[in-house]
Amino acid sequence: MNPSSHLSLIIDLSPSQWHLSAQSNNSYPLSFQTFLSHVLTFVNSHLAFKHENTLAVFGALPGRSMMLYSSLDATSANSNDPPADANSYRPFKLVNSVVANNIQKELDAIERLTEEPPVALVGALTKALCCKYQPFGPSTTRKRGNEATTSVDPRILILSVSPDLSASYIPVMNSIFSAQKLKVTIDVCKVFGEETVFLQQAAHLTGGSYIYLGRRDAFLQYLTMSFLPPPSMRHIIAVPQQDKVDFRAACFCHKNIVDIGFVCSVCLSIFCSPVPVCSTCRTKFPMKTLQHLNASRPSIPPANGVSNGAPRPPSARPNPGMSASLR
Amino acid sequence: MTAATGKTEGQQERSLHALLPFLQTQSQTSLTRMYQRPSSCLSIFRLLGAVERQLVMNLLWLESSIPTSTMSSWVTKEGKTLFDDALAWLARLHILSNNTTTKLGLSPAFKTSMRHAITGGGASVSFGVPAEPDEKRPAPTIDALDAYALERWETILHYMVSSGTGQMPVKPSQGVLFLLQRNGLMAMNQGQLQITSSGFQFLLHTPHAQLWELLLQYLQMVEERQMDLVEVLSFLFMLSNMELGRVRAFYEYSTESLSDTQRAMLEDLRDYGLIWQRKAKCIFHASSRRFIPTRLATTLTSSVPPLPTATHASGAQDQGFIVLETNYRIYAYTDNPLQTAVLNLFVFVKSRFPNLVVGSITRESVRKALVNGITADQIISYLTTYAHPQMRKNKPLLPVTVQDQIRLWELERNRIKTQEGFLYTAFASQADYEYVLNYARQLDVVLWENAAKRCFFGSVEGHTNIRGFIERRTGGGG
Repeated sequence: MNPSSHLSLIIDLSPSQWHLSAQSNNSYPLSFQTFLSHVLTFVNSHLAFKHENTLAVFGALPGRSMMLYSSLDATSANSNDPPADANSYRPFKLVNSVVANNIQKELDAIERLTEEPPVALVGALTKALCCKYQPFGPSTTRKRGNEATTSVDPRILILSVSPDLSASYIPVMNSIFSAQKLKVTIDVCKVFGEETVFLQQAAHLTGGSYIYLGRRDAFLQYLTMSFLPPPSMRHIIAVPQQDKVDFRAACFCHKNIVDIGFVCSVCLSIFCSPVPVCSTCRTKFPMKTLQHLNASRPSIPPANGVSNGAPRPPSARPNPGMSASLR
Repeated sequence: MTAATGKTEGQQERSLHALLPFLQTQSQTSLTRMYQRPSSCLSIFRLLGAVERQLVMNLLWLESSIPTSTMSSWVTKEGKTLFDDALAWLARLHILSNNTTTKLGLSPAFKTSMRHAITGGGASVSFGVPAEPDEKRPAPTIDALDAYALERWETILHYMVSSGTGQMPVKPSQGVLFLLQRNGLMAMNQGQLQITSSGFQFLLHTPHAQLWELLLQYLQMVEERQMDLVEVLSFLFMLSNMELGRVRAFYEYSTESLSDTQRAMLEDLRDYGLIWQRKAKCIFHASSRRFIPTRLATTLTSSVPPLPTATHASGAQDQGFIVLETNYRIYAYTDNPLQTAVLNLFVFVKSRFPNLVVGSITRESVRKALVNGITADQIISYLTTYAHPQMRKNKPLLPVTVQDQIRLWELERNRIKTQEGFLYTAFASQADYEYVLNYARQLDVVLWENAAKRCFFGSVEGHTNIRGFIERRTGGGG
């Protein structure tokens, strides 16, 4: 028997972005209702794939994140459960109604503010990583073979609509590193909006796949073909990989995404301009190095895109000193 | 790590579920009839291999068929054979419409029902009609259900294992006995049912495999009993998609929407422990109008162990209970008579304590098992499956000496190889002998020869040719 797989689904629930997405002047307008029905179908497909497959759904709302569903604690009966019905497979119906109700509840709870805080994607990502990757049910611990007990392959699928939040660079990177350590694959589907640098890196570094949704009317087909095969199957079923990954980082001082960054040689903090003292580790850099670096900076930094002519530190790295790096 | 798992995955891909070959022999019409029910589609889908499942999903939401080349571009080089296998299987099960060489598309019946299964809806009533909760007579708890299923199942196995030993265990129902006989697991011997060698092998299988083995036999008997195969299968699949009772809101299902065939099945499945039914209150009703599937039924299409192994107070059985030492001693922490009886098949039991059986694996005990038709691999796999958690720290799990010795004991029995054939003797002259022998050598049928005695032994296949050759020669010569 092949191992069961666990899917943590993170749904970006930014009201303003979904409003923009549904506008009819987009080439393929996608309303939240349509999106949700596709996602729920995908979720059912995942659960149909194998009896033991588990699921957790997280929502990233403006300013907060929460767990919307988890098959680990869904076994207890609830008074809000939909009545049993002979025409549908009950676990599917249960998941769908719980997820839809919870999203409805959370969206209703959003206060009307003039300015919407950015979505708490990092919070949702961290919660997803904390979710225990255990096989469903208590009796599955006994399996034949030696390592079969732990062979759930966990993965996270992020359905993102919001743009990058450069302030969250460090937490996102930390999440990526812990995902690597936990051997969790992060898949990203960019449903609306421009490409996000951080999520591209997340997918790249954890061996997942990043897809920018081109034809948004075929959302379900994209989901099924690219994100349904569990990581253990991807050596048979090829899923799209990224051609090029945007490796740019955000500086620690102004949280801007930079083309050329200056890296502290002691603690590897990134800055957008040469600084005399590293704000993270308090290392003082010699004046000479700073002048050197300042002189070698291009006068007008390119507005966007990766520049190829980034200057390198002219001499061997001074110690302590600062080095510019091409990201 | 990835390479290793990849390999095992690839191997598992090819290990098919036991039901699929049976389904493949069914006619397209009956399969199509079965695919009309969403629950059957979902269950069959889950029995398929991983690649097949992914293919079905890829095609599920497409309205028109797509070229096969497009789909195969999604498959890596290593997965090519698996992909072709998968296509062949899907076509044989008539899940894909006929021509798979150029265009791929799901057959319309399967597509509609699978969509209904995933999204809900339709009016097929294929997932079981829930019964109104009955406040007066509460349904049993999950634990009680598990205990019930286990008791039923172990009755069958225990009856098998202790047949012929002189003990008189509880007899399972006539239907079960008949099924065991038909399956060749037990046979009439001197007026008594006795376990056969395939029965011994059966005992060492996992409960999941055992269950399906019995059910397959049941399915094969369906036509003789003039039951409708599609209805029988649909009912099994419906059971496999039902929900095991929850803690408070208990799920009982009503028998009202069932056909007569399916009602008849209720009784059989009750004997196997797949279904729990309340005892009839009055004699006019054959049985209660509601039923509850047990864990045996709800795990039919999954790999979760179908039986709660911790039956008695000791919870350690959940993890396995056998400790095997390099000196062939075996300690089994169990108080379960069935497990003790199964161990007794190939272990020389020295002493029994309330929660522990101590014995050793000896040449005699293993030979006894081998004579019964159990293979060395089956013994080793049984020991591996039920090894105590303490044993799992060892690498390799079982002591190599013991494993090798069990295999050697098996080889011991294979020292003599028998082959049917004919002995050719009494040749008139050495030339005649060599002439015929040469001919036989050319046919590659000579098993033994002795030139001094002018005789050789040829296999059965070559006999007609050699006889013809000799006759032609003697006929031609004089």
